Amino acid sequence: MKPLTDYLDLSQQFPLTRQQLRETDRSTAALVLSSAIVAFLVMSPMLWLVFRATEVDPARAYSLIVSSQTGWITLNSIVLMAVVMLCSILLGVPLAVLTARTDLPHPRFWTIVAALPLVIPSYIGAIAFVGMFGSGGEIDSVLGTTIPAIDGLSGSIFIITLYTYPYVFLTTRAALLSMDSSIVDAARTLNASPFEAFKRVTFPQIRPGIAAGALLAGLYAISDFGTPAFMGANVFTSRIYWETTGFGREYAALLALQLIAIVAVVLVIEAGIGRDEDATSSGDGEGSTIRLGNWKWPAMGFVSLLGVLTLVIPVAIFTRWLFRSEGDRIPAYEFQLEFAFNSVYLALLAALVACLFALPVAYYSGRVNSLTSRILERATYVGFAVPGVVIGLALVFLGNRMLPSLYRQGVWLLVFAYVVRFLPQAVGTIRSSVLQVDEKTIEAARTLNAGRLETFRRVTLPLIMPGVVAGSVLVFLTTMKELPVTLMLRPIGMETLVSLIWNAQDSLAYRYAAIPALFLILISGLSMLLLLRQEGGKLS
Amino acid sequence: MQQRSSEQMGRFGRRTYLAAAGGAVAGLAGLAGCLGDDGDSTPIAEVDPMTQGVDSGTLSWDDLGDLEGEITIYSGRTPDQISGVFEALEQEYDDLTVSVDYDDNDVQVNQILEEETHPADLMYSQDPGALNALHNDGVLQELPSDVLDAVPTSYQHNDGYWTGVTGRTRSIQYNSDRLDETDFDSWDELPTDITEYATDERFEGIISTRPNSGTFRGFIQAMVERKGEEETRDWVRQMAEDQDAQLFEGGSAQAEAVNRGGDDDPIVGLGNSYYAARILNEDPDAPIRTTFTENDAGCLFSVAGVGVLDQVGDAELVAEFVRHLIAEEGQELMMEDNGEYPVVEDIEYVGPLSDLDEINPPEFDLSGFDMDLQEAGDLIEEEGMFS
Repeated sequence: MKPLTDYLDLSQQFPLTRQQLRETDRSTAALVLSSAIVAFLVMSPMLWLVFRATEVDPARAYSLIVSSQTGWITLNSIVLMAVVMLCSILLGVPLAVLTARTDLPHPRFWTIVAALPLVIPSYIGAIAFVGMFGSGGEIDSVLGTTIPAIDGLSGSIFIITLYTYPYVFLTTRAALLSMDSSIVDAARTLNASPFEAFKRVTFPQIRPGIAAGALLAGLYAISDFGTPAFMGANVFTSRIYWETTGFGREYAALLALQLIAIVAVVLVIEAGIGRDEDATSSGDGEGSTIRLGNWKWPAMGFVSLLGVLTLVIPVAIFTRWLFRSEGDRIPAYEFQLEFAFNSVYLALLAALVACLFALPVAYYSGRVNSLTSRILERATYVGFAVPGVVIGLALVFLGNRMLPSLYRQGVWLLVFAYVVRFLPQAVGTIRSSVLQVDEKTIEAARTLNAGRLETFRRVTLPLIMPGVVAGSVLVFLTTMKELPVTLMLRPIGMETLVSLIWNAQDSLAYRYAAIPALFLILISGLSMLLLLRQEGGKLS
Repeated sequence: MQQRSSEQMGRFGRRTYLAAAGGAVAGLAGLAGCLGDDGDSTPIAEVDPMTQGVDSGTLSWDDLGDLEGEITIYSGRTPDQISGVFEALEQEYDDLTVSVDYDDNDVQVNQILEEETHPADLMYSQDPGALNALHNDGVLQELPSDVLDAVPTSYQHNDGYWTGVTGRTRSIQYNSDRLDETDFDSWDELPTDITEYATDERFEGIISTRPNSGTFRGFIQAMVERKGEEETRDWVRQMAEDQDAQLFEGGSAQAEAVNRGGDDDPIVGLGNSYYAARILNEDPDAPIRTTFTENDAGCLFSVAGVGVLDQVGDAELVAEFVRHLIAEEGQELMMEDNGEYPVVEDIEYVGPLSDLDEINPPEFDLSGFDMDLQEAGDLIEEEGMFS
């Protein structure tokens, strides 16, 4: 089949008919309405925050907000977020180019290795790192050397970056695959150096993708609960944690609202960077690849090193206890295949529902650049920036009252909670793919009398598929590792891989964390393989 | 190519839809089952024991009524600590199902406080402060009098809204391999007065604690009660500033650091003894050891216990279930699994720890735990101890 872009000129010759225009209005209205519903649904838990926060005595609330303590945690949180964003870009973008644009052997395997750190809860990574490299750790007891202590703010930044750079990697990779690389070839034939071609042609095209990923990494960092607490970093989430341990839910809510205020500023700033009307292409993703030559060895070595640091070490630390431990059996922690099934089932449902919710929002904000579309799109990010425990409590409050039949029965309230938390991962990736679709392609299809839905199904959807796949991979992987909301809203007695890992490490029975951790990585890897196939044969 | 991939997506979607629909049906069925037993909520204190009350001497499970039906528990304790006794009960009674929801203790309390109707019949917590917080919000109900009579009053709530099931004391953990690195000549020199841990210069830079735990706040409250607020504030400040105590966010992480013994790790830690017991269970050669202060807040005796939520499915079943925890087998199973002290006086403690008489923990009103939890938290923070 000839690419539809070949018919581009037709659109000028046959303008849309009156009837088609009317239809357009109606479907735009439907799009706005469905985006608005999605935005309202995922913002609804924030009502609880406001409700609880108003229980704090106003004078005390004021003195808390203007205290120097608040100043410090604000500064620390912003530093944490900004540095994690920067480091994730420095790691994620080169990896994306490496797996999508070069002749690296077995690109699909390396893609999976580079993306998998996302399934490891970052505090598990933190525990493993301290156990491996810290003073008194494995390396210390064998070689007598340690790396500088990983703790505090810098330790949190280091660990969180290692487990969040895949956001940038996956979104950038999707943008690279969606973009028409023949324009890079064109630039090269015009004598641009590879670097020049990247800077002037490729980079503007993938900038929305990079920005979307960096935003996710930054928001993950600022909302991460476990790692800063474990590392002793003084940020918003560790304060919220402190308040929840004293049952001060109203103070936790107040802090969470302050966190949202910071995030709102970031979302507005990022809205300026992430938009780009130039980023359009026909998206066949074929074209020249960079030849690595002998550079492929250091390249593979680098990805392997990342894989060892982020994936092998946690599993190895736990596995070592399998052999060393002389403890009594703890039947409650024995691994059952059902736990793995539960994890995958929940993660698949979350990925599916998140993509369905994300499509109207991403499509609307990608096609129409209006204040409404931007606000609706940005609204979906708020849930991602709020710590899971807080979202969980909000949904306990709302779900228990409004949907008592779903509360702790069946998985739907839980799946909804995952969507509240992780929707922006799908919105961001799908939207950057939508931005890359050339308007004219769609108009061309419409002039060929394709109905709106048919155009979407046969033209737009295939073009934005890399974004949809990247989005569902992101939601899938993060749901696999999600813990606080899972524990609060799961049907009573439902165990997942991560709940078992958490129980085992919480009880210091590390040997029981080894098998579920291994399963977590293997199953996520296999699931990614299946999902990546949806992209078509681009990589093979 | 694109055609193929959209086809595959379609198939993937349909199959998931089928799975999802199955889930929804299962959910509805569960809902129907649950609506049924939500109706009546007779106060459990008004239901007669099935056979006899547990206050008539030490009873075994055979002396008690048969447990039939489903009971739901929110637990702040971990499965390794308590699942043994639930499994034993399920084995004893074929028609009994115990569904337990395990989560962080504080999260469970917050969650119950946010709920309007409670799926759980019981909350099982290791922290009296947590149970008091629930009672203060009016979500617990009074326990049957025979249960309250079976447990010493100091191990239960003043008005009978919760009871302890097992107990433990706070302890001093230390790494027995690292004597050389300290200024002590022998571990026997470790003070038996908690005050000295904040003032003795030999602890500077090697001591640690965990300020965010419920029991630490309880410990602070106990100290306020015994020594006054001024002295307690001094203690916290000296601990934070002079001793530069390392602060941990988890009891496991703290005990593990003491045990690991790296250059940056603390050599001494203030915390519950069962963390050390767990490490020694996994690795008998581990260097971590525990000792106790004497008759002060440092060896505060605290209980893990249960509170019954105000709406329960089957009052008779829930009451009889609590009796089983207090009865002989319940107490013994907990002792074995957990290395904790029984709360029922006639049951003898057999285990590796010192006898309670030797440690002589202070008398302290556990019902007062939490009344000023927020205040205790503020005090800790104001004096500079915040991780």
